[in-house]
Amino acid sequence: MSEEKIVSRGGIKLPVHVNRRLVRYYWDRLKKNKLSLAGLGFIVFLALLGTFGPFFAADPQHVDFDVKNLPPLGFSTQESIYDIKTSTFTTTVHPGRPDHPLGTDSKGRDMLAMLISGSRISLLVGLLATGIAISLGTFLGVLSAYLGGWADNLLMRFTDVMMTFPFFLLLVLIVFIFGPSLTIIVIVIGLTGWTGAARLIRSEALSLRTRDFITASKALGASDNRIIFNHLIPNVASLIIVMATLSIPGVIMAEAALSFIGMGDPMSTSWGTILNTGQHTLDTAWWVAVEPGIMLFLTVLSFNFFGDGLRDAFDPKATV
Amino acid sequence: MRNYIIKRLIYSIIIAWGILTITFILLRVGPSSPVDRYILNIAARGQDVDSVKQAIEARYGLNKPITEQYFSYMGNLLQGNWGWSFSASMPVLELIGSHWIYSFQLILLATIFAIILGVGLGMLAAVKQNTKFDYAASIFSFIGISIPGFWLGLMLILVFAVYLGFFKTYYDTNYPIWSLENLKQLILPVMALGIGELAGYVRYTRSAMLDNLHKEFVTTARAKGLPESTVIGKHVLRNAILPLVTIIMFDLGSVVFGGAYLTEIVFGIPGLGQVSFNAIFADDYAVVVAVTLIGTFLVLFINLATDLFYTYLDPRIRYE
Repeated sequence: MSEEKIVSRGGIKLPVHVNRRLVRYYWDRLKKNKLSLAGLGFIVFLALLGTFGPFFAADPQHVDFDVKNLPPLGFSTQESIYDIKTSTFTTTVHPGRPDHPLGTDSKGRDMLAMLISGSRISLLVGLLATGIAISLGTFLGVLSAYLGGWADNLLMRFTDVMMTFPFFLLLVLIVFIFGPSLTIIVIVIGLTGWTGAARLIRSEALSLRTRDFITASKALGASDNRIIFNHLIPNVASLIIVMATLSIPGVIMAEAALSFIGMGDPMSTSWGTILNTGQHTLDTAWWVAVEPGIMLFLTVLSFNFFGDGLRDAFDPKATV
Repeated sequence: MRNYIIKRLIYSIIIAWGILTITFILLRVGPSSPVDRYILNIAARGQDVDSVKQAIEARYGLNKPITEQYFSYMGNLLQGNWGWSFSASMPVLELIGSHWIYSFQLILLATIFAIILGVGLGMLAAVKQNTKFDYAASIFSFIGISIPGFWLGLMLILVFAVYLGFFKTYYDTNYPIWSLENLKQLILPVMALGIGELAGYVRYTRSAMLDNLHKEFVTTARAKGLPESTVIGKHVLRNAILPLVTIIMFDLGSVVFGGAYLTEIVFGIPGLGQVSFNAIFADDYAVVVAVTLIGTFLVLFINLATDLFYTYLDPRIRYE
């Protein structure tokens, strides 16, 4: 069922067909892949947690040495203290406490609050950086394919240089120079991560360019802008969506790795930052290294499952 | 063919030059100077900071305009002089010479581990398509792809070194490279680095095998009465190997640049990853540029080798 919606473009009101049936068709195909749905479910959960969680949770940066190294609920740690006067060992058992259900780290910061803050940061960095990278990649890819000739050649050679560039080293280098802030991290990942998208979109656009409907709209006198935005980009849209979904986990991992080596934003708590503290207390407080890793792993797994399902749903040749 | 190789080599040199220039500019335009470390010591001893700083900068030509520094660096490089490491107080080439082997052994072992197990498991999964083994392999590969390598490293240390005590928690450089002890302490790092790659190879091998498994020449081979092992090993695998080589070679680049660095940091292996990270923090630009350049050449060489290897694997491929 195709529905008409009026939108305004350049002052002229135009009817745009929103094809509900197509969306419905893709959703039905996606629904058949249970793993993909589970992935989507976890992503939605994470988004809700990251959006609303911080309003309810404790302050993730609140330090309280009285409750340091508390284990998660259901676990307990033992502490042996030697008393010189009586020369005896007293062993105290510290069980997990309900006010810190996931335990605390070596500075007494609440793990649950830190994990919630981390989910906000991971999703934010993942979505924003991927947004920048994919938009830039799409723009450059379409531009390259459409312009052709020396401009195409120049752009693709530049892409080659960027692709060969040691990505992680570049990331560390730029963050070191400009200082560790979330904005810088997002911009750097966004500005370096567009190469794959640009190449893929370019090759797709190149094959589209010779198709009859493009020739037809050219013959009808459509402008370059119109052909690019109304014909080329809608036709690579499914490719772009799949590509974006599957590149989010890489971005999230890159941010976590950066924070893990101590180059994260010191003003915010991300999963990588917690892992950075956790790696030094593996023998006394294992949960500090385990919990953020599980979150990271589940997030990446969910995006991979969901992206895989999306790809199959969009692919007319795939049987779902 | 010879012209093609020459063209590719020239092209590689241009890309490497581009990367070198970007790295050099990023490092030298930054606010801090490699001399800063010296200055801290001198200031602590109460000597006149400015005159010493100027003297050192004049001696190494750091006070000249950036373009002049760039050309003198390039000139030296072309004569085989890689510069001086300020933080290690030795020539860059000597520093790299004493550390490269730690990275090399790690990357080599992890790659061998991943290729043998990954391709083996992928082949088995394809042959036993839609059995429990196939599903298990598929789930394993999804998990392996989604697990962050550095976190996996931490977990391996936690379980096998901290709790079970099978391994030391740190890398001991006192063991000679070719000793059994050294091989033993590399088990965990190799697993941490290799499992992600392995998981990818399982997936790609499986799909490449399945692409060929139901082709007519396979039916013919079976009809001829060839044993199943010959059909799989000689007819299916050989046709599946071309896309596999691309993936493996492409992955090697990301292992060299991404995973190996983080693995070295998690396990405290003093390889080139550690060296370059320390160099970034010390603003030791000559070391960073050198490591980046070596890594870039390695990746470009691998790419070229892959393309040439194709002509051997598939004689139909010819380069003009």
